[in-house]
Amino acid sequence: MTERRDLAASLATTWFGAELSPHARAAFLDLARVADLPPETEMTREGELTTEFGLVLSGRIALRLVVPGRGRTTILTVEPGDVVGWSAVVQPYRATSTAVTVGAVRALLVEAVALRAALRADDALAASLYPRLLETLARRLQGTRLQLLDLFSGQIEGAW
Amino acid sequence: MTPSASMTSTAGSAAITTPSAAEPAFLERHDLDALIGALQAGDRRVIGPTVRDGAVILDEITTAAELPAGVRETQAPGRYRLEEGRKGRTFDFTVGPMSPKRWTFPARVPIGTARREAAGTTFTAATPDAPPLAFLGVRACELAALDVQDRVLLRGPVADQDYAARRRSAIVVAIECTTAASTCFCASMGTGPEVRDGADLVLTETQAGFVVRVGSDRGTRLLEGLPVRPATEAERDEASVGVAEARSAVRANVGVATTGLPVRLEAALDHSRWAEVAERCLTCGNCTLVCPTCFCTSVEQVSDLDGVESTTQRAWDSCFSAGFAAVAGGTFRSRPQDRYRQWLTHKFSTWVEQFGTFGCVGCGRCVTWCPVGIDVREELAVIAPPPRPSLPILSIPAPVPADGAWLRSARILGSHRETSDTVTLTMAWIDAPHPRPGQFVMVGLPSFPAAPISVSRVHDTSIELTIRAAGPATAALTALPTGSEIGLRGPLGRGWPVDRMYGRDVVIVAGGIGLAPLRPLIDTIVDDRLQFGAVRIFLGARTPRDRLFTSELSAWTEAGLLVDETVDRAGADWLGRVGVVTHLFDHSERIPEGTIAAVCGPERMMEATADVLRSRGLTDDRILITLERHMDCGVGLCGHCQLGRFFVCRDGPVFSLAELGDTFGREGR
Repeated sequence: MTERRDLAASLATTWFGAELSPHARAAFLDLARVADLPPETEMTREGELTTEFGLVLSGRIALRLVVPGRGRTTILTVEPGDVVGWSAVVQPYRATSTAVTVGAVRALLVEAVALRAALRADDALAASLYPRLLETLARRLQGTRLQLLDLFSGQIEGAW
Repeated sequence: MTPSASMTSTAGSAAITTPSAAEPAFLERHDLDALIGALQAGDRRVIGPTVRDGAVILDEITTAAELPAGVRETQAPGRYRLEEGRKGRTFDFTVGPMSPKRWTFPARVPIGTARREAAGTTFTAATPDAPPLAFLGVRACELAALDVQDRVLLRGPVADQDYAARRRSAIVVAIECTTAASTCFCASMGTGPEVRDGADLVLTETQAGFVVRVGSDRGTRLLEGLPVRPATEAERDEASVGVAEARSAVRANVGVATTGLPVRLEAALDHSRWAEVAERCLTCGNCTLVCPTCFCTSVEQVSDLDGVESTTQRAWDSCFSAGFAAVAGGTFRSRPQDRYRQWLTHKFSTWVEQFGTFGCVGCGRCVTWCPVGIDVREELAVIAPPPRPSLPILSIPAPVPADGAWLRSARILGSHRETSDTVTLTMAWIDAPHPRPGQFVMVGLPSFPAAPISVSRVHDTSIELTIRAAGPATAALTALPTGSEIGLRGPLGRGWPVDRMYGRDVVIVAGGIGLAPLRPLIDTIVDDRLQFGAVRIFLGARTPRDRLFTSELSAWTEAGLLVDETVDRAGADWLGRVGVVTHLFDHSERIPEGTIAAVCGPERMMEATADVLRSRGLTDDRILITLERHMDCGVGLCGHCQLGRFFVCRDGPVFSLAELGDTFGREGR
């Protein structure tokens, strides 16, 4: 129980978990397990089914894409409080990048099929969790747009 | 009549009673040559109106016969035609395409030379070549325009030396208008048709000659040498009636509703009319060329063939030209509507806050000489019709007094490569004020235009400049070996307000080379650590290889500063954060109330950062940014870096978002 209370507390301190309703937080924790992942653990692989939805409690996860001729490129790192594996709840449930732990990572993981079933069955959970998920994706979209602009490449001190 | 002014005689004339300075005199029409002769004394060139190529232009004249006698004109939007005027009249026209600006502020003048020899490189400011001039027949609106240019070019923190020399020497003989063109709107701009001040002598034409008033001591002395007599009451009345008729004619024209106009225009920056007028505007710049107040210039380089000597010239430029607001990678005003809006809002809004007057004197030249007949009066009536509620006007901060000298030579003491395209030069810095954090210097190389470069570190007798090779000049600068000489001018601009940060928490956000102007601020905080609260530094770079000053990050951390880094993209070997710099805030702790943020990077990055900071509770007056703009002079004279009511070089480059208001991030400003 102590561990569960600790988990509930740490979930509430993340920006993803902070605004979940108490019911959604409890329902999420009912489904979740705590995982301690060693460095270089591959959590998802680009194009393959996402089997788990995760919330990072500590450590760092790199989201990578493979570019032929350029190798693996990290396009984002997921930090504590953020989500990994959102494709677990968005069709076709296939990962859009390869997620690899950078150093040791502690995360809350929820099995994808079970999470989808819970979201279908529990409207209150869905009503609380989906807006947070949307915010996660909106932040990623906004960041990706800025990355697309490649602002620093054209940055100089004048036209000289 | 005062005794000292009475009863003088002039060779070649009958004994004549000279009137006092306070009472108008009368100059017979046939004595105009005597006036011109008096003006020519001391090898002074007389510039006056004359007819050429179907227009009344200004040029050097030597006799009254060259004046445009019996000529008047019709003017309308996009139209100018000379026609027959009243017989015997000399000044029956109003204004042609030229104004005295062509002589007081010539289209192209040298401002300095750079000479590269074995012994070193020398930068020498040009000595103004300003032969004494006299202007004959200057209109009230043109006098007002001279005053407007004086405010810009003489009375700012830095005076334009060439302009100062020309203005000082010039005698001005004004003529009051007794006619008006349909394009005249001096009355609504408060500049005419009556001449109030700014002239040495003021003439008002009557059928027989000219009623003459004195406007200065120099005018008094000039009058003493002229074959004049006191004007009769009838002559004075005839002159007054002529000017009153001109006033009536101007008042009957379409005017400009000036009361509250600056505020109304600023509130109409998103008006659909800007796009509509841009469909007609050819962006030819004619309006700025004929305008007697437009002062924007570019700095050009002319090199001799062997590359030993290059001359820097100041040349008229126009905010309508495509390259005016250009920086590498694009231009801040790519669309014609942006340029038209810049011009019109400068003339009728931001100019007022910058210089205390409108930038328009109502001469109507821009209306007449626009090839498609765009009429500012019509556009203003649509875009900013009176009356509208007032907007709060922010106070412009006092600019830092800038160094008025031209480039001076400075030796490169060391060159350190930071990244593949970025180099830090250590420059000798002696006998000049220490740059404050956030200030910049103009850096010049022979054959290249001077570039504004932020100071990235200040030592006792040297400064560091961190330069990214992105264009020809910066590529040349970054390739220079130790021992080379370059030209420096500065320190310039308003830097980070360090005193506002004392005792407070500080957040510093830097993107790419934006860390360079922030490094002196970080140095100040490290040196005086106890004066500041918690300090967090968020750094963004394109890739791990593009990170700047990486060897110093640990020293900053040891000084108690929290440093977070991220890169936009990285290979699998990079174990740090990846993502845009705003992502760093997702993982940071709460930003305490009262925190001050200092942000520098590409403008779009600063906008995104400002949004995040606002969402974390920071108010606009506590979010400080430093702006990049095209700069040719660095001291508020060339006009390129104008942003609303500011010149970025003089009033910035550091601003709070509250000062900038909605000009920050607005397309085309």
